[in-house]
Amino acid sequence: MTEIIVVTSGKGGVGKTTTSASIACGLARRGKRVAVIDFDIGLRNLDLIMGCERRVVYDFVNVIQGECTLRQALIKDKRLETLFVLAASQTRDKDALSPEGVRKVLDDLTADGFDYIICDSPAGIEKGAHLAMYFADRAVVVVNPEVSSVRDSDRILGLLASKTQRAEKGNGGVKEHLLLTRYSPRRVATGEMMSVADVKDILGLDVVGVVPESVDVLSASNAGVPVILNEESDVSRAYEDAVARLLGETVPLRFVDEPKKGFFSRIFGG
Amino acid sequence: MSPLPVDCAVSRSPRVDLAMNKAADAFTEHAIEIRFGQIGLVQVRIHTTDPGVILDELTGRTATAPQFFQRTAVCLDLSPLSTEASVAEVRAVIDTVKRAGMLAVGLTQGSAAVDELAKVLEMPTFAPYKTPNRPVPVVQPPDPVVEPPPPALMHHQPVRSGQRVYARDRDLIVTSTVAASAEVMADGCVHIYGSLRGRAMAGAHGDAGARVFCQEFNAELVSIAGVFRVFETLPAELAGKPVQAWLSGEDLRFSRIGG
Repeated sequence: MTEIIVVTSGKGGVGKTTTSASIACGLARRGKRVAVIDFDIGLRNLDLIMGCERRVVYDFVNVIQGECTLRQALIKDKRLETLFVLAASQTRDKDALSPEGVRKVLDDLTADGFDYIICDSPAGIEKGAHLAMYFADRAVVVVNPEVSSVRDSDRILGLLASKTQRAEKGNGGVKEHLLLTRYSPRRVATGEMMSVADVKDILGLDVVGVVPESVDVLSASNAGVPVILNEESDVSRAYEDAVARLLGETVPLRFVDEPKKGFFSRIFGG
Repeated sequence: MSPLPVDCAVSRSPRVDLAMNKAADAFTEHAIEIRFGQIGLVQVRIHTTDPGVILDELTGRTATAPQFFQRTAVCLDLSPLSTEASVAEVRAVIDTVKRAGMLAVGLTQGSAAVDELAKVLEMPTFAPYKTPNRPVPVVQPPDPVVEPPPPALMHHQPVRSGQRVYARDRDLIVTSTVAASAEVMADGCVHIYGSLRGRAMAGAHGDAGARVFCQEFNAELVSIAGVFRVFETLPAELAGKPVQAWLSGEDLRFSRIGG
C-alpha cells in the first residue's frame, strides 16, 4: 500500500526540503520504493539538495499538462536504487498545479507500486502548500524551536485537520508528526531557545524526531548529498531515528541534551 | 422578534480564512457563495455628538489595543443622546469614528428617528444587544413551547491558530487547547479543559450571565457579552492558573477556580 507523506511547516527556511530529501533517502535505504515530489513550483530546490539538478529534463508541471509521461519525468537517484525524484518547474508559477492533475500523478505513482510518496511542500498556506497536503495520509510538520515557526506550524496543523481529503471525508484525518530542526541543546539550556517540551506542549503533538543545529546541513546542501547520507554527522543519525519512528519503531530521543563536558575539556576548554 | 443579536455577513477579521479559500476555489464552480455567520460587532454608545470629545476618547481607548480596533466594524448606538441627532451630526460622528481607525457599519435600532436616519445614511440597523436605557416598545409574544436548551457543542481537537469555533445558542466545551490567535465563541458559556492562549468570547449574543472557564489561563482576549479585556489588561498573577471570568455590571472580573 502506498503512503503519501507531506513535509510541511507554514514558515519558510525551517528545513522542509532538507527533511524531505533525508526522509526519502532514509526510507529508500531500508528498501522502500520512494518518490519525492517538489511542490514548490517556480522556486525548485529539491533537485539541488538531491544533487540531480543537471538531470532534470521534464518536471511535475510537464507531467500534469501531459507534455511527457510520468516515467520520463521521474529522475532515478544515482545512489539509491529505489529512490526517484520528481522536480518542480522553475519556469511556471504555482497556478500550473491543478487538483485533478496532482491527483492523477499520485494515483499513477500508487499504481506503479511505490511504497512512499513524499510531498515537499512550499512555504505558506496557498495553492502549492494546499495541494501538497490535500491528498496526504500523514504529515511531517517541520518546526524550529522559536515562536513564529511554532505559530505557523499550529496554523498548518489546523489546515491539516480541515482542508485535506482525509479530513473532508472524515476517515480518520491526516496522521500528524512533529519534527524539530535546528535544535541547539546549549541554547535551550541558556533559555535562548524553546525546548522540545515547550514545543510539544504548545502544539499538543509528539515529536517524531529532533534534528540538531549543525554546519553539516549547509555543506550537504551545497554538495547535493542529502545530509542523512553523511554518516559522520549527528544530523544523519537524528534523521535515521526519525525514519525509524515513522516506520513504527520505538527509538529514544537523542541530541536533546547538552553533551556533558569531560574532565579535560572542562580544564582546557574546548 | 426577540431583541437579538447582530447578525450579518461582514467579518471583522477576514484575514484568517482568505488564503486557503483561494486555494479551495479550484474545487468550486460558483461565482459567489452566500453564507450567514455571526460575528461580534463592537458597539459604540454615543453620549455626545461633539466630534472633538468623541475623537479624544476613542483614540484613548483604541490606543490600548490598536490592532484589535484597526478597521474594526462598529455599530453606533445613538440611544444615550438626550436629543435626536441630525443627519449632519451623525455624519460627523461617523467621520470621527473613522478617524479613530474604526469603520461604522450601521446604527443600533431604537426610535423611529434612528430608522429614518439610517435610511438617509443608507446604513443598516441592528437590533440592540442589551436593553437600551430608554424603554423601547417591544410587544412580548406569548411564550412558545419551552424547548430544552441544546446540549453544549463539544470540540475534542486542539483549536489551532487561525481557527474559529462558534457554538450558536449554547455552551462550548473544548477538551483540548485553544492556541494563540485562535478564537472560540459561544452564545452561552465557554469551557476550556486545556490551555487558553487565544481569544475566548462568551455570551456572544449579549447574555451577560455567560462565563468563560479555562484550565490554564494565558488568554489574548476575553470577552463576555461584548465587554472585553485584552492581554495587557488581563491579571498577570492568574497566568497559567485555572480561571473563570464573568461580568459584574459593566466590569469583567477574573478569579482563580479551586483555590
